Amino acid sequence: MENMANGFIILFGLTMLYLSTTSRIISHVRLLIAQGVLLFLISCGSFEHTTGLNIAFLAIETLLVKSIIIPWFLFKVIKKTNSVRDVAPNIPHFYCLVISSVILLAGFLASNYWISSLKMIAPVYFGVSVATIIISLWLITIKHNILSNVIEFITMENGIFLLSLSVSKEMPMLVNLGVLLDVFIAVYILGLFVNVINKEFKDLEVSHLSDLKDYEYND
Amino acid sequence: MINTLLLFPVIAGILMLIVRKRFFDNLILNIYAIMHIVISSILVFGKDVQTSIPYFAADNTNKIFLLVLSFVFLMVTIYNNGYSKNLPSFGVKIKNTKFCLYWFMTLAFVWAMTGTILSTDLGIAWVLVEATTLSSAYLIFFNRTKNAIEAAWKYVFICSIGIALAFVGIIFLNISSGDINSLNYAILYQNAVNFDPFWLKLAFVFMVFGFGAKMGLAPVHFWLPDAHSESPSPISALLSATLLNSAFLVIVRVFKIVTIAQCDSYARTILFVMGFISLFVTAVFVYHIKNYKRMLAYSSIENMGILAIGTALGGFAYYAVILHLIGHSLAKASFFLTSGNILELFETKRIKSVKGLLKADKKTGWMWIASFLAICAFPTSLLFISEFLMIKTMIAEKHYFLCTLFVLLLTIVLYGIGRVVVGMTFGEKSEDKAETINKNQSKVTISMYIPQIIMLLLVFILGVYIPDSLNNIIKLAVFGF
Repeated sequence: MENMANGFIILFGLTMLYLSTTSRIISHVRLLIAQGVLLFLISCGSFEHTTGLNIAFLAIETLLVKSIIIPWFLFKVIKKTNSVRDVAPNIPHFYCLVISSVILLAGFLASNYWISSLKMIAPVYFGVSVATIIISLWLITIKHNILSNVIEFITMENGIFLLSLSVSKEMPMLVNLGVLLDVFIAVYILGLFVNVINKEFKDLEVSHLSDLKDYEYND
Repeated sequence: MINTLLLFPVIAGILMLIVRKRFFDNLILNIYAIMHIVISSILVFGKDVQTSIPYFAADNTNKIFLLVLSFVFLMVTIYNNGYSKNLPSFGVKIKNTKFCLYWFMTLAFVWAMTGTILSTDLGIAWVLVEATTLSSAYLIFFNRTKNAIEAAWKYVFICSIGIALAFVGIIFLNISSGDINSLNYAILYQNAVNFDPFWLKLAFVFMVFGFGAKMGLAPVHFWLPDAHSESPSPISALLSATLLNSAFLVIVRVFKIVTIAQCDSYARTILFVMGFISLFVTAVFVYHIKNYKRMLAYSSIENMGILAIGTALGGFAYYAVILHLIGHSLAKASFFLTSGNILELFETKRIKSVKGLLKADKKTGWMWIASFLAICAFPTSLLFISEFLMIKTMIAEKHYFLCTLFVLLLTIVLYGIGRVVVGMTFGEKSEDKAETINKNQSKVTISMYIPQIIMLLLVFILGVYIPDSLNNIIKLAVFGF
């Protein structure tokens, strides 16, 4: 079981590489579904330590919310806004792939170098989740389409979810529920804003959102 | 007591969504505001009251924060009674049903802040801080202009990422706490001595950046000027005077854990750096600003920087921090509400287009000057006492260089804001605006003056005399650091 979980985590890390090389937004959302399923399979590995309630919660969070509801909602937004591709990121895809790979590698190395002395944390989990968070943050800065920014925000949340799995303790149930609810509403609100922005500015280019400046007046 | 404070908005909110009448919604908000201040006063000053329920409590640290929130909320609600009558005619066509969401979201926003302040569990506080972001996003977006969309998008996106990083901090805190499987502050304080310092320091960095983004500390403040300037003025007042405090309270709680674990010198350095960057950023940007609401937003960043510096200084400065927090909340709420009056009269936020405020509306003009004097720590403003105490602490601890830098940056900011305020207030009103002003005179009703007058009087009176009961609460809050 342990080995299988490790395999899934590495697959999860690879999904981030895929995310950094593709420009079709539909495939980004499909990737979110894959990540949700992978997170479910990974969390299966820790089921032996947890209570029934927690298992149910994890299943709902990963399978229902992360791989069904959020992607479904994003598909709807994509259809409505008619956005297919995220054209022209600041950095070409090949370099994106190289940089993401380096971050992933650094995650593995750093976690194995530091963490082996600490019993609380599983190194593979930790390395991949930190790398996921950093790659997501980095991709947010270089992508031009606000919808892909939302998708990267969700992958960052997935990374944080994986990080919380890496600690062998559980967070209190109430906190988990609250986090799930907040993330869900945040994605929902961001989705609504995507629609509004699309209506008002005609497309989803992030550079439209740079009118508010200190040295110029815009009313 | 706390049950009522937290459950009333939930029930009232559901009713609001069903009824959807402006009069009813406004009535509910007024009832909640009065209820809020009554219950908070009983919780803070009352004896033999039950002050805790599971996950929420009014303890020594958060009492003063709760009181400030209640008071500012009441004042903003009074102002809102006059302000909200003018909203639909403000060049924006908003459907009645959508308009009702304004009160609903304000209620949700205040509920989330109350929950954040009262929570005794870091996890719950995290959830509620994120809830404040989500509920206030609609309010920032309320005017539905392109700029409002931009501001709201930046706000939700930046704050959500910030808060997500704060959650990483909570996970690291969980790692550092070893066998303790709880995020309850009391339990964390008890066991903080045994925490792993490496993970605790890492946790503090993430949390101070995450919650600091919400608090408006530079260099993670980018949402703040946009959001404050684009939202309706009562909401700007709430954002600046209460939301930033709620985020600060969470940082104070985490700071205490770090202090008990004796990693505080490290934490203090981070707060010092962020505080001074905040002052510096304000000093640089306040000069060339073209929008007076943006200027007030930068002043909030500056004051949050002062709170961070005070926390980093420690000792006697903690008392100054609490005083500063009270003074800033009252003065800044008054400043933002007055800016709402100016916006109603002149229909522009451009500094250059506003001239001869005293001639246009005497009361608003004087309130604008008085708010400026209060915020720039003119004696006997409460902020004068707090900043004086901080400078005194810096000299006593021989931080001469920092003290000079602090005074210098504050002076630059003061000059920057003062120049704008004087330019706007005095002189003749421009002719092209005369007609607009005359047309809008009737929009500024009596309820749009009273809150500012009360708050300004309080700021200047508290600078001379602090009642014993309030002083005791402040002294108790100091132990929360």
